[in-house]
Amino acid sequence: MAISRRKFAQLTGASLAAATGLGAQQRHRTAQQVMEQIHASLGGAAGEMPLDGFKAGDPATEVSGVATTAMATMEVLNRASREKTNLVLTLEPVFFGRTDGAAAGGSAGGGRGMAGVNADDPVLVAKKEFIQKNNLVVYRFSESWRRRDPDPFATGLAQTMGWTKYATGSDGLRYEIPAVPIGALAESLATRLKARAGIRVVGDPQSRVRRIAMLPGVSALAATMKVLPDCDLVLAGETREWESVEYAQDAVAAGQKKGLIMLGRVLSEEPGMNVCAEWLKKLMPEMPVHWLPAGDPYWRPS
Amino acid sequence: MTAKDVLELIQKNLGSPWNENTYRDVFHAGDPNVEVKGIATTFMATLDLLQRAHAAGMNLVVTHETTFWNDRDDTKGMEEDAVYKFKVDYCAKNQMAVLRLHDHAHSHRPDFIMVGLLRALGWTNSASPQNPRIYSFPTTTLGELAAEIQRRTKSKALRVVGDPKAKVSTGTAGMGYSTGRFSPEVDVVIIGENPETGNPFDATEYALDAAFFGKNKGQIILGHNISEEPGMEDVANWLRTFIKDVPVQFIRSGEPYWSPVVRG
Repeated sequence: MAISRRKFAQLTGASLAAATGLGAQQRHRTAQQVMEQIHASLGGAAGEMPLDGFKAGDPATEVSGVATTAMATMEVLNRASREKTNLVLTLEPVFFGRTDGAAAGGSAGGGRGMAGVNADDPVLVAKKEFIQKNNLVVYRFSESWRRRDPDPFATGLAQTMGWTKYATGSDGLRYEIPAVPIGALAESLATRLKARAGIRVVGDPQSRVRRIAMLPGVSALAATMKVLPDCDLVLAGETREWESVEYAQDAVAAGQKKGLIMLGRVLSEEPGMNVCAEWLKKLMPEMPVHWLPAGDPYWRPS
Repeated sequence: MTAKDVLELIQKNLGSPWNENTYRDVFHAGDPNVEVKGIATTFMATLDLLQRAHAAGMNLVVTHETTFWNDRDDTKGMEEDAVYKFKVDYCAKNQMAVLRLHDHAHSHRPDFIMVGLLRALGWTNSASPQNPRIYSFPTTTLGELAAEIQRRTKSKALRVVGDPKAKVSTGTAGMGYSTGRFSPEVDVVIIGENPETGNPFDATEYALDAAFFGKNKGQIILGHNISEEPGMEDVANWLRTFIKDVPVQFIRSGEPYWSPVVRG
């Protein structure tokens, strides 16, 4: 297959060897080979990112398709299996903790600072069996994708909201949208993101906002204090209740017509994994690629 | 009586040693030498709370959580921030002082905050004899339990993970920033707040996957305020046992959030 100039340009950072080798290998490629192509194209080595890597399944497995998701829950893995996308790229952990089940231990009961999940935990065991039985391979694709510029999570959220044309600046983090009351904005976000109970809002629903700053994923007080003075509303994934939430409350009590919307971590990051899927489709046009959103984890009694 | 006198009375009446190295339980706004007209206890010294306490004639706020938006109430670099200036000026203008009572609200026996949380959940007498950190209740569904807790706490932004029809009869109760942990003995993990993922143990993802496999597990996230504010009423009641000269009132800073209506 000849490589068009456009396609060649898309393979930014990929070595010529990797690019020219594609033709022969396309039909039978292992998860290892697919991930090597992805990392070559991103321009970074997988080893530089300690959280990322294969978390389940055999890297030598032949890839039938690629799924991207913010969190490889069982629902997502079940869909990946049905849709024959057996290489699953997950932004967040698959095995219930930041070490993805590597450091097991801890005792029963409540409290803080407990270690990860026990190796013989029935849910962990069942999830691992499902992955093995269905020939799935799960790759944690977090630090690698977070390095993308402009921020794919912010640009993904903007696409979902139809705000791309309202971007100010090139970092993808700031938008000037037609003025809208916070209440209507929150409902619109809930509809477009298919939220259930995960969205929480600080601010007067009647306050009209226009300048939006995005802080998808998890963010600290410093980030909110930096952007809120120059915008009307911070659209965040999650922040701490005694940090950015209290700061936004105080800005409102001080008379500012401002707000903070927290979407939840996964809900705020999911559109960025759709951006990832679209990027992969261009990078490997022969490969079936599906975005499989985990959905809003939360509900609330009516 | 000055605000400093109140702190000394708290230290004297605590019934357990005061940690002199605490960075939390000190004055974070106002003048400790201000003459106290009334004391408000609350979960968080938000500007809105300060305004309502002032309107009620209280000029010493005893708060469980922060005043300036971080655990150390470190205000370095905030000098030019408009919200910071507004809050500092408000305290100065109205002669208000803010004292944090966090570590010692927890180290008091019993822990004031835990007493308040268990009362809010209706679990005061539910500790299991085998493990005092696990609470037992008559078998119900996760949906019914969440609805009851929502009614009791009047929460608008409570969040639940798991199958609403799951049968549950045991749970853990986490205050504030807390990681709950599932085990064969624990059906429901209740917490204040926690990062959604990336913890040593991620209860949200676990509850989702446990539900997929038909296991009776659920997570209920109350919010930091909902989980810890009730105990500050107990602190107010306690303060009244040794502070007789000025009024002491529990004033809720309140749940900070609302949630949009979800259609369809």
